[in-house]
Amino acid sequence: MNIDITAPYQTRVRQALADDNLRTALERAMSRLSEKRAQAVAAIDLQRMRDEARAIKEHAIKNLPELLEQLERNLIANGCQVHWAQTADEANEIVTDIARQRGVRRAVKSKSMATEEIHLNEALEDAGVKIVETDLGEYIIQLAGEPPSHITAPVIHKRAEDISALFQRELGMRPTNDPAEMCAAARKQLRSEFLEAEMGISGCNFAIAETGTICIVTNEGNGRMATSMPPVYVAVMGIEKVVPRVEDALLLWQAVARSATGQEVTVYFSVSSGPRRPGHPDGPKEMHVVLVDNGRSRILEREYADVLLCVRCGACLNACPVYREIGGHAYGKTAYSGPIGAVITPLLADDPKTAKELPFASSLCGVCREVCPVKIDLPRLLLDLRHDLTKLGTPPKYERAAIRAYSNTVEHPGRYHRLSKLARWFSRFLPTNKEGDLTRLPPPLSAWTQSRVLPRIAPRSFRALWSDRGGKDMGSSNDG
Amino acid sequence: MTRSNSDRKRPRVAMFVTCMVDTLYPGVGMAAVELLERHGADVVFPENQTCCGQPAFNAGYRDEARRMARHFLDLFGPLVDKGEVDAIVAPSGSCVAMVKHFYEVLFEGPGHNNEQRLVALVSEVTYELTQYLVDVLGVQDVDAEYGGTITYHPCCHLLRELEVDSQPRQLLASIKGAEIVDLPAEQECCGFGGLFAIKNAGISTAMGQRKVESILQSGADAVAVGDVSCMTQMNGLLKKMGHGGRVVHVAELLNGSTPRTPERQ
Amino acid sequence: MDNGSIGAREQILGRLRRSLEKQETLFRKSIGRDLPDPPMTVFPSPADKSLVESFATKLVELSGSCDVLRAGTDVAEQVMRQVREWTTQSPSEPTEILSWAPNELHVPRLEQTLAGVGISLFVPEDLHDESTRARAASLEVGITGIEAAFANTGSILLSPGAGRSRAAGLLPLSHLVLVPLSRLYPTFEAWLLKLRQEGRLEALLQEGGQIAFVTGPSKSADIELTLTLGVHGPKTIHAIVFDDTE
Repeated sequence: MNIDITAPYQTRVRQALADDNLRTALERAMSRLSEKRAQAVAAIDLQRMRDEARAIKEHAIKNLPELLEQLERNLIANGCQVHWAQTADEANEIVTDIARQRGVRRAVKSKSMATEEIHLNEALEDAGVKIVETDLGEYIIQLAGEPPSHITAPVIHKRAEDISALFQRELGMRPTNDPAEMCAAARKQLRSEFLEAEMGISGCNFAIAETGTICIVTNEGNGRMATSMPPVYVAVMGIEKVVPRVEDALLLWQAVARSATGQEVTVYFSVSSGPRRPGHPDGPKEMHVVLVDNGRSRILEREYADVLLCVRCGACLNACPVYREIGGHAYGKTAYSGPIGAVITPLLADDPKTAKELPFASSLCGVCREVCPVKIDLPRLLLDLRHDLTKLGTPPKYERAAIRAYSNTVEHPGRYHRLSKLARWFSRFLPTNKEGDLTRLPPPLSAWTQSRVLPRIAPRSFRALWSDRGGKDMGSSNDG
Repeated sequence: MTRSNSDRKRPRVAMFVTCMVDTLYPGVGMAAVELLERHGADVVFPENQTCCGQPAFNAGYRDEARRMARHFLDLFGPLVDKGEVDAIVAPSGSCVAMVKHFYEVLFEGPGHNNEQRLVALVSEVTYELTQYLVDVLGVQDVDAEYGGTITYHPCCHLLRELEVDSQPRQLLASIKGAEIVDLPAEQECCGFGGLFAIKNAGISTAMGQRKVESILQSGADAVAVGDVSCMTQMNGLLKKMGHGGRVVHVAELLNGSTPRTPERQ
Repeated sequence: MDNGSIGAREQILGRLRRSLEKQETLFRKSIGRDLPDPPMTVFPSPADKSLVESFATKLVELSGSCDVLRAGTDVAEQVMRQVREWTTQSPSEPTEILSWAPNELHVPRLEQTLAGVGISLFVPEDLHDESTRARAASLEVGITGIEAAFANTGSILLSPGAGRSRAAGLLPLSHLVLVPLSRLYPTFEAWLLKLRQEGRLEALLQEGGQIAFVTGPSKSADIELTLTLGVHGPKTIHAIVFDDTE
């Protein structure tokens, strides 16, 4: 990883754009992902799927308090222990307390964005618990000491060659670029972790209120392992994950599978409603569910409920032309990257100015909205956040001054005409190529001309041509 | 004087030429006017028009954008209200999207009753050029000629905000002598994005370079687009990279006003 | 729940309630409809093929394999042949495989048939016991039945119980799954509907601990999106569909 996630935004972006290996890795993976999604959604009534998925999530957010209470009631009736955490720290404390009380030394974790968000691994390690990521991608980046760079494909930023080098170094694997061999090496290593761990940790894709059930979506089977083999199972879930009925979870599961990887369904859908029952040969002896707020209720307060609809499928990342250029690490120290990350990162933060550049890291092309299985209008949310941030005064002062001056001009056609004329006159003194295009502009417009030319102001404006032609004017009584 | 729409034989269109076309590409505006006139509309040009406010809105400056929007509404609203024009047409997907979709965001909530009324009135009759030609005027054949290959890049706002896509393609296909070729990864953004092109110049350039590669791969003599902003980005890169600008506004091709491969001979 | 957690619970629910009450419109643009009713999913139903055919086709597409036995075929014989194909030992050496209890598999004379060729079933009672766990983990083949199977997606549903370990379908590299025809459903929805009508859905979920839908062998595409099988769960899954309806 050549990106320092703690560096300033522009530095991170520069590092990402200069990283040829990163760009190769993204290039190889992302076009495949988008193609597979396109095939999978072409086979079904996509609009119906999106409408139904959206309706379920809207209902869930509208009825969040009641559904959470129902979920809690049923989880407890099923023999689970339920914990509530307002902050990341509270959630981490709950999990480390459970570990401490049971003398847990080793824990395995199935891939989970919520635990990534609250930095649970660090908290457990500080408490003396060895925590092993078991999703192959997460395992690779844990070995490399890096954070994930994608919601569903955490190691998308690495080429097979990079992973091979890492496994040779860390696991003593023989030199090979064959993913099957690398996978076998990881299986061997992780199998013993599963069998020896005293605690299994997972996130939660959907929680079913009517039955008190936690659903985990995986392909590798690590979710089923982590929730079945160790004696203690802890599920950490964001409070927005609850849905009313069993059918709703099954529908969203299919929507996520098609959107994320182009599968009809994922290989495993592990549906846990409690610890093992008397007489059952396996399954955890106790099951805990930690309901984590960590900024979600505040997102609702800030009137960004739309964000809580997200099902974390990663489709918006896979489709995003900006993500494809810079990958996930350029989004900084956050669990979430891409369009949804640009929205959710500043919203989850205590200080709304956190990650203030991210809402601007979009050309607003709208492809994220097009692929979102729950129809989140991400460009609109980016626009709203930009508005919030300019009100807080985060963009450079000259920008506000320029926009103010521009709007003062535009409101008054007379001033607008004078400004156009001035610009036309001024542009005669700027350097051009032999075709007459501007090649060098002063800052901040130099950012344009570094890689692009700009046409000069036309010798005669449209309105001049129009009046030459004797064309009709209308509504010109309010000149300023 | 108020005339009802039905008194007129030909629909009357108010041209919203957009600030970029007015100052940088007046030829595009003239081509749009000629097209509309040739296909059955009378065109008027409210001369006090300026900018729709999109640059400010997209950058997050809503108070400033609101002032610009109000100017637009004060100018065009009464024309529509009094029935002096039947439609407002602009040769730009993104400016039309601003009027049709985002003006209502600017005037949300109480205290904006008058603006809300005008927004509803105006957005109802505002069209992108090819949308108006096909959907309203029923044009199928533009009766233009072009001796070369043409490809089409669907600009993001036209495609995804307005969902206008078949109209320009249909009209381009009617150009005599032109061969329409595919643009690889055509739906990918060119990387313009307004102030994004400045604030995130590196990313914007990388995205645009990808588009340039697709354009070169397509082998097209002309790339037709519906927004001059995207055209500026693509030609700006093409020229800087020494390939010659070949991106043209769809209106110019449809109007037959584009010479074959203007800058590559 | 400890006291701190109760405080957090009230705080969170309170904040949510206050925000929800305050906001007239919650979303930028609401879909304007409530929960799908009846709940539906988006899969096309297997139209032209029989249930069995489409289940088998799907499973093969997913890198699994499937035998569909005609009525009257000896299921136990078929199981034996498949196990022999998978196990590395020579026929004379005794072989142990991880299994659900024979009475959970609904195959007559299974144990005896397998014993005839030196194959024995290991049915673990408590996998939290270290030696049981080690023994289970060393086995190459696992045999399970199913709660239900789904023609549309090639999925099976495993539900736990006494004599029905999760491990049998999870730890070994090869998973042999026995699918009685009576438990094959066209879609998830058809199955859910039946369960609801019979009032069994809640019991299945709530009394079982964990149920799992499994669709093909364990796989990953984390390394450059190259498909690799058998990451943590079975690398091979083979279904034997047999007619139990007579």
